[in-house]
Amino acid sequence: MRRLFIKLTIIITVVLLLFMPVNNFVKHSHDYNIDHAILAFKKHPYPVDIINLGASHSMYGYYFKPTGLSHLDLALPGQTIQYDYKLLREYGKYLKPGGVVIVSISQITFANSETKNVGNYYKILDRTEIEPFRLIDYYSYLYVPGSNSGSFNSALSGKLKNFKWNSHQPWANNGKNYSERKYAKVEAQYREAVENDNIERNVKQLKEIVDYCNEKGYRVILTMEPAHQSYQEYFNEEVMNRLVFQYLNALELDVPFLNYMSDQRFVDNRDYFIDPDHLNSEGRKMYSWIVYKDLKKLGYL
Amino acid sequence: MTFISIEFLLFLAIIVFTYYLIPHRLRWILLLVASYVFYAILSIQFIPLLLASTAFTYFTGIIIEKQETRKQKKKVMLFGISVLLFFLGWFKYFNFVNDSLRAIAKYMDWNYTVPYQEIVLPLAISFYTFQAVSYLVDIYYGKQKAERHYGYFSIFFAFFPQLVAGPIERAKKLLPQFKVEQNFNYENLSYGMKRIAWGFFKKTLIADRLAPIVSSVFDSPNPTGSQIVLATILFSLQLFADFSACSDIAIGCARMLGINLTENFKQPHFAVSISDFWSRWHITLSTWLRDYVFVPLCKGKKKRSEIYLAILITFLVSGIWHGAAWNFVLWGLIHGFYRVFGDYTKHFRAKMASFIQLDRSPVLHKWVKIAITFLLVCFSRVFFRSDSVTHAFENAQLFLTINSWRPSGIVKAFEIFSLLDLVIFIFFFIIVQIFQYIERKNVSTWEWLSQRSIFARFAFYIFIIVSVLIFGVSGNGFVYGGF
Repeated sequence: MRRLFIKLTIIITVVLLLFMPVNNFVKHSHDYNIDHAILAFKKHPYPVDIINLGASHSMYGYYFKPTGLSHLDLALPGQTIQYDYKLLREYGKYLKPGGVVIVSISQITFANSETKNVGNYYKILDRTEIEPFRLIDYYSYLYVPGSNSGSFNSALSGKLKNFKWNSHQPWANNGKNYSERKYAKVEAQYREAVENDNIERNVKQLKEIVDYCNEKGYRVILTMEPAHQSYQEYFNEEVMNRLVFQYLNALELDVPFLNYMSDQRFVDNRDYFIDPDHLNSEGRKMYSWIVYKDLKKLGYL
Repeated sequence: MTFISIEFLLFLAIIVFTYYLIPHRLRWILLLVASYVFYAILSIQFIPLLLASTAFTYFTGIIIEKQETRKQKKKVMLFGISVLLFFLGWFKYFNFVNDSLRAIAKYMDWNYTVPYQEIVLPLAISFYTFQAVSYLVDIYYGKQKAERHYGYFSIFFAFFPQLVAGPIERAKKLLPQFKVEQNFNYENLSYGMKRIAWGFFKKTLIADRLAPIVSSVFDSPNPTGSQIVLATILFSLQLFADFSACSDIAIGCARMLGINLTENFKQPHFAVSISDFWSRWHITLSTWLRDYVFVPLCKGKKKRSEIYLAILITFLVSGIWHGAAWNFVLWGLIHGFYRVFGDYTKHFRAKMASFIQLDRSPVLHKWVKIAITFLLVCFSRVFFRSDSVTHAFENAQLFLTINSWRPSGIVKAFEIFSLLDLVIFIFFFIIVQIFQYIERKNVSTWEWLSQRSIFARFAFYIFIIVSVLIFGVSGNGFVYGGF
């Protein structure tokens, strides 16, 4: 027994020593700290003029600092509309009277049903809001994220951004490869959502968000961020109608919908995009100014 | 709480610690409570069924033994088996039969009104039913005495390491081990931990890393032929890693308690024929089918055609046991056909090998046989993995198209991986192959390792743990856990 104990102690000690730098590497990675802006806001909150919700399209979409608006970005990658609602309930109270809530609508808004990175919300939401919540996952995500293969993979991928097949590079074949893969992924997600009756749940959730905003006196708009032409070859009118608009139109929401997806100022210009469906910093600035001006025109600001 | 979880490791540690702490006469209570707690955590709603099946098999065994004539014993045994198979049939096959009849009725334009039933498959029912059937048959043949200690019998029925996905054990092997006092043994504990760690390694670094990649092809509405070929081969690796990992963990857990379970795998992908494959793959199921289906079917049969029919029926049972769907039925029949064809053409193939002088190079001959066997197994797994018969035939057609095997197409198909995932997968796959290579030299890798220096051994153990900790993907249940 003593022999076994000594051996195990040695092995565990060495494992821990080797693991520590890996854990630190993950802890300091961009992806692990993707919620840092929201977390910083949570620690030192201030009144804001505008909040945006949504997934990565929205997260990469808005930068209102040059317009002089105080802004809180509540969008995170792969965020479901359920988490949009949870975050709005948690942080909506910091919106100035008559403040604006941008609800970003994308191809996955109604098909997205599974929160893949639930860890993103551990620090910025109350535990009771996290679904599914497992104590072991919670503590391991917070203190030993290196043991989470997803977090480690993301951290490693972040460091090795260019370590991809040539055909997997975002602009290979003028963005068509990327768009095709994304299309296949969204279609699979949509099929699953239809099979599991998740669409209806998500549509209902959007209605709840709008009702909640009205109840609290927030001014709400729906937006759709610009995408590159290559992306629109796959997500064309017919596909978007099937994935999004048939449900959105049926809701008959009394809120403006600003659809910039095919905006000609962006559609042909790769310089505004990181990849075919995400704006870069240049595109983000330009797009935010456009949204700002349109909101003014609508009398929202 | 699945095998691949911290909760399970903590649970196991507590059980092992308590097991050696308490006197032998109380250990059966500990094991029984642990087994039922484990089952209840996974599937509490089917605890009553497990308890009922246990009680039924226990009393049926005793009643069989008490019968005076062989005829009476047979009657009771058949009744017992029928009841056990009824439960299995109801939960596992009702909707399969119902759907099939409905489809036939629709085709024939008949009126069929039995509605679809929402039936959830009880966890491990296929495994414990087969164990129960073998127990009753063995009592009937006098190979096994009916167990009188209800506690020991219940553990045999629900022993937590092998409850979910086997190995399918026989009473005569398992029951005596529970009754013998197992003293604390360093070798058992150490070996058990190594087997569990190796199981975690295969499951989290091979099987669960491959699972989403294979799914991305099989779930795709329009995969290319080369993608199907690659995904099928990868699925074979995934399935082996997944199932053998499950067996490794089961064997490791049991060994820590001093119990020896039967090995379930002997590097099946290095089999030189289909019959050899089935003596290496899911060995406890193969031997069960041999002893309780094939041998009784062959009783009194001498004609080759009758033996072949028995082979086909045995593989049909194997297919149906795996899953209640036509693609599993076809998968079983394909293996039956392989087996019959292999036997029928045995001499012809030997002559052919001699004619093309392949037998002059035994090593090359062996590897050609291994490659052919592996590809035949892979082809059958197209049916195993596909969601429906329609998809299975579409995928099988793609698998058999020559264009699908173009090297350039296969290389392109590797893009189903991200480059990073591919590098990580190849690295760990090579480690597993080195491990298997050592085993093929008829040496247990663990024994081989024990002869290395302490640094080499510790480096390997640390490598396994760190790899699982950092690169291991978890979250998917075991494939065979669903059967």
